[in-house]
Amino acid sequence: MSDAKALIELEHITKRFKSLTAVNGVNLAVHPGEKLVIIGPSGSGKSTLLRSINFLEEIDDGVIRFEGNEVGYVRRHGKLHLDRQQVVCQLRAEIGMVFQHFHLFPHMTVLGNVMEGPLTVQRKSADEAREIALAMLAKVGLTDKKDVYPATLSGGQKQRVAIARAIAMRPKLMLFDEPTSALDPELVGEVFDTIHALADEGMTMIIVTHHMGFARELADRVIFMEGGNFLAEGTPQEFFAEGMNNERIRSFLNRIL
Amino acid sequence: MSLKPNTLGRVATALLFLWITVATALAAEADYDALFREANDLMGAGDLPAAVEVLKKVPAPKAGEEGDAFVRSRMQIAKLHFAAKEMDEALAATREVLALYPDNSEAKNFLASVEREQKPRYVSFLQDCLKFLPVLLKGAVMTLLLVVCTMLISPLGGLLVALGRISTFKPLSILCWFIIWLFRGTPLLLQLFFIYYGLPSLGITLKPITAAVIGLGLNYSAYLGEIIRGAIQSIDHGQTEAAKALGMTYGQTMRRVVIPQTYKRLMPPIGNEFIALIKDTALVSTIAMVELMRAADQMFNTYFNVTALVLAAVIYLIFTTFFTFLFERIEHRAGIYERR
Repeated sequence: MSDAKALIELEHITKRFKSLTAVNGVNLAVHPGEKLVIIGPSGSGKSTLLRSINFLEEIDDGVIRFEGNEVGYVRRHGKLHLDRQQVVCQLRAEIGMVFQHFHLFPHMTVLGNVMEGPLTVQRKSADEAREIALAMLAKVGLTDKKDVYPATLSGGQKQRVAIARAIAMRPKLMLFDEPTSALDPELVGEVFDTIHALADEGMTMIIVTHHMGFARELADRVIFMEGGNFLAEGTPQEFFAEGMNNERIRSFLNRIL
Repeated sequence: MSLKPNTLGRVATALLFLWITVATALAAEADYDALFREANDLMGAGDLPAAVEVLKKVPAPKAGEEGDAFVRSRMQIAKLHFAAKEMDEALAATREVLALYPDNSEAKNFLASVEREQKPRYVSFLQDCLKFLPVLLKGAVMTLLLVVCTMLISPLGGLLVALGRISTFKPLSILCWFIIWLFRGTPLLLQLFFIYYGLPSLGITLKPITAAVIGLGLNYSAYLGEIIRGAIQSIDHGQTEAAKALGMTYGQTMRRVVIPQTYKRLMPPIGNEFIALIKDTALVSTIAMVELMRAADQMFNTYFNVTALVLAAVIYLIFTTFFTFLFERIEHRAGIYERR
């Protein structure tokens, strides 16, 4: 069932927290350039699934393939164990992640935040890292803020810096975990536009969100998740048309919209 | 001869009485034993003039004779008068001794104390300062050296202990827990004694300064270890996740992201510990180190003069004040990124 062309492929991913099964054996393949949006109610397992992809959550069962290779875990006595730190770090360096609460490094300037990945992880020279960081800041439109500390920024600006920090690593895949959920409504637009611009450049991305704009305007494919399972999957047109026939999806959409 | 015992005089007399009793018991001289005993009884009864009269019966030694009893009797008389603030009589008794024994150090020191009493207070205070300061400053330099050494060692030791404690590798975590338990759970004084006096029996002999630095370093590493661990664990877990998501290793995450954010939070409790450290260095005077406390103690015991202690207190206060301001400045700078 391996899909040779997939950038990332998940097979039977299962994650339990004590008695709760957060992700219940899901399968998913994302192709290069694809924009996947996962929606669903709180506690449906969508964030856990996203975090499993870059090993921030250790899965209990399943296989993760990156560019066709099985990665991240070794199996001992029938149980999965996270691979050596070096291996996991190398994988994470190829997958960018943006968090709901930004998690910028408060003790570094905006430029320092964006330089940090190339400098520390990729061990580029300071000049090279600065050049990359400035290009990324230009991309998210925050060149003028390069020398300030994150504490002085608005939520929308912080999230744009967080995006710049992630793409400075030139990742092959970007994960967005509810990137606009912590923002005041008037600041959602600037972050949405930044992600949209990134999508237009052909970046492969998986977005977990409650913001239907992503699903409608940006997604190639929408997945509705509930109780750790995929309940529905399709193009935005299919999803919004057919979703209305599904009781659960309709009530979810009605609550959101 | 008029001895009018005031309250201070009575206290001083009681102390003298005790001292004389012990001294008499230890070095009884057969010849004048009875006289000293009679004088003691009179002092005990509070009749000082009578005691002085009895002591005066001890005659000056003839050529070739032992003079100890004579010296002792005259010095007792001098001290009794001194306690009653009768300086002329006190001086007279002291000079009797010096006339025969010009080099008697007890009489010489006593004469100096009496003369000091007779000078205006500020003059004698300034003279004392000039006399004590060189010795005290030498001690203060040693104290400062110990403080600075411990301040350099203990944050590093504390960081290692803290990282060990939060390590998922159980044996290391337990070892570090044990180190903290041991060094926080026993008195620093005992640790210093053990390192200096106890280790030689295991074949390890250390110089006092080495023992002092090791003792203070270990003790303060244990305390700082818990403070640093608390600060590391107080940093938002999201910071660690963001660092990991970038591809950082555990070491890079700690070094670049987590630990730098603890500096501001660490400064107030570490400042507290270091102020305590400045004063705790006084404990190393017990393991043959001459630092500020020991120097002050020596001056105090030689000259029986509180000025030495007051000066030492002032020097300690100067140290603590300086470091308090220094730590406040560092804290201020460490938190510069939090300002909006």
